[in-house]
Amino acid sequence: MRRHAAVRMLLHDRSTTAGAVLGVVAIVFLVGQQLAVMFGLLTLMAALVDNSGADIWILFQNTYNTSSAGSVPTRYVDRLAGMADIDWVEPVVYGGAQLRLADGTSQPVQIVGVSRPSLLGGPWKLAAGSNDVLLEYDGATVDRLDLKDLGDPAVGQVVEVNGKRIRVAGYTEGSRAFGAPLVFTNATKAREITGIPADRSSYILVKLKPTVDARGALAGIRNLLPKATALTAAELAGNNKLYNLTNTGIGSSFGFSTLIGIVVGVVIITLTMYTNVLNRQRDFAVLRALGARRRDVFFIILFQALTIGFIGLLVGFFLLAGFLFGVKGSRLPANLPLWLPPAHALFTFALCFLGSALALRRALKIEPASAFR
Amino acid sequence: MDAVAPVLRLEAVARDFSDGRVVRRVLKETTLDILPGELTVLAGPSGSGKTTLLTIMGLVLKPSAGRIWVAGEDVTGVPEDQLATLRQQRYGFVFQQAALVPALDVLDNVLVGTAIQGGRVSVQTRQKAVDLLASLGMQDFRSARPQQLSTGQQQRVGIARALVGDPILLLCDEPTSALDVESSHIVLDTLKKLSRDPRRGVVLVSHDPRVFPYADRLLKMEDGAIVYDTRQVSQGGG
Repeated sequence: MRRHAAVRMLLHDRSTTAGAVLGVVAIVFLVGQQLAVMFGLLTLMAALVDNSGADIWILFQNTYNTSSAGSVPTRYVDRLAGMADIDWVEPVVYGGAQLRLADGTSQPVQIVGVSRPSLLGGPWKLAAGSNDVLLEYDGATVDRLDLKDLGDPAVGQVVEVNGKRIRVAGYTEGSRAFGAPLVFTNATKAREITGIPADRSSYILVKLKPTVDARGALAGIRNLLPKATALTAAELAGNNKLYNLTNTGIGSSFGFSTLIGIVVGVVIITLTMYTNVLNRQRDFAVLRALGARRRDVFFIILFQALTIGFIGLLVGFFLLAGFLFGVKGSRLPANLPLWLPPAHALFTFALCFLGSALALRRALKIEPASAFR
Repeated sequence: MDAVAPVLRLEAVARDFSDGRVVRRVLKETTLDILPGELTVLAGPSGSGKTTLLTIMGLVLKPSAGRIWVAGEDVTGVPEDQLATLRQQRYGFVFQQAALVPALDVLDNVLVGTAIQGGRVSVQTRQKAVDLLASLGMQDFRSARPQQLSTGQQQRVGIARALVGDPILLLCDEPTSALDVESSHIVLDTLKKLSRDPRRGVVLVSHDPRVFPYADRLLKMEDGAIVYDTRQVSQGGG
């Protein structure tokens, strides 16, 4: 009967219930959408590393993320190749450049040059065809989502990057990173564009043999190359995310937006539930006189808060799914890790509880004697 | 013949209210027995303390002094949760203007008190509620909302709610104050009939003179004290 009474009260006070549900929807959707975009950006920040296929990255000394400039001697490749634990080693050339558009303006791009013939560390998904287009002397790929920024180059079209010619030989599909559009090409062309000499490479990618202990191999590489930084792909990906979150203002911006979403939602839930209890003071007093204990009133309010939370979650997640579906394959990065929806749901229920705290406080203070006034 | 045991006994109960600075005694020391099979009317002007006395009888307001026995059991100092359970199991309340819960339909309003501490309403209790509504002429309004009923009909639902738990004590707070003459008589006739149950005492607070003829015992209050009790008058008169 307590549950029944709680539900009937919610249905009876439709406008206030709808208001509270709206508060939950605001929390679920606004916070979820902000987090999805933030995780989308985080994915982009580590996309090159995560999709390289390498276990260990070798960077310039005292460099801990891919945003920092610097290069390592290319001869390290031969030294590493001699290690028993290593399956393959490939140098990568990386640098910023300007792509000249038809109207004479420039578009910043990130050049990634991978070694022929392995092309390891290259684009991870192509719209059509294969990475083999990078085997060609001037072959390059750009992402389908960046085409507009790059002046809509057709496949086979020659464009100028830092005054050097490249030919758009294929489109990638979602092979994008944080910041300027990625242009993949072979290492030779990339050196030509970025001016990085053949004896230097931006990074060296290392793939370990399947049964090798990564920690031990990493220690071995660090001993072998004391004047370089060796990081696991996971470490480097984490560093990239942290660096960009803390140095670009993205972290604080998303944190603030998320906080605003939470505050707005909690305020709406608090006000509507509190108003609801104020309007129902007599009912609660009568229920108390009829035998309801404080814990029964607590149960009713909490049940109402959790019901509102559940409905709000359903609607909010439905809207969030619509948002994610809508931005899928678009330029707006959005990614909801699997652990996030259940965590978000728990968090939302906790906020509903917090939002109902004031209402609970008021309701628990209602004396049964007030039913007689 | 053995004396009838009271369903409720108040011994020297008093109640003080404080505004933070001044403590005011709104109910002076009162000793009172409520007997089963009797309709006791508590009358008096506004502010005389009759509602305070009723709420103390109903275990919804704790007295500042004195002791309370319900069916021979001393309930003074019993924790609040146990008092709530006592109210649920032993008491029936009829409030001013019925005080039905607008969110619940008529049948749920009758049943709400029986399972407000959790659990399901039994089939027997549900049937009893249906029968009570029928006995009060409300059988066709089981699914109606309180706001769809007249004040008199709401009060009859309130009476059904008070009776569904088969209480030994029925406390009514100005049950006819918002009713027209005809509805008042229906409600008072019903309460009078209910008071004939030898297991149940009925206390009715009212300042409506139409109520007095129904009283088996009339108590009048003034300034927080019972100043007139028909029982004492009749005993005093021999």
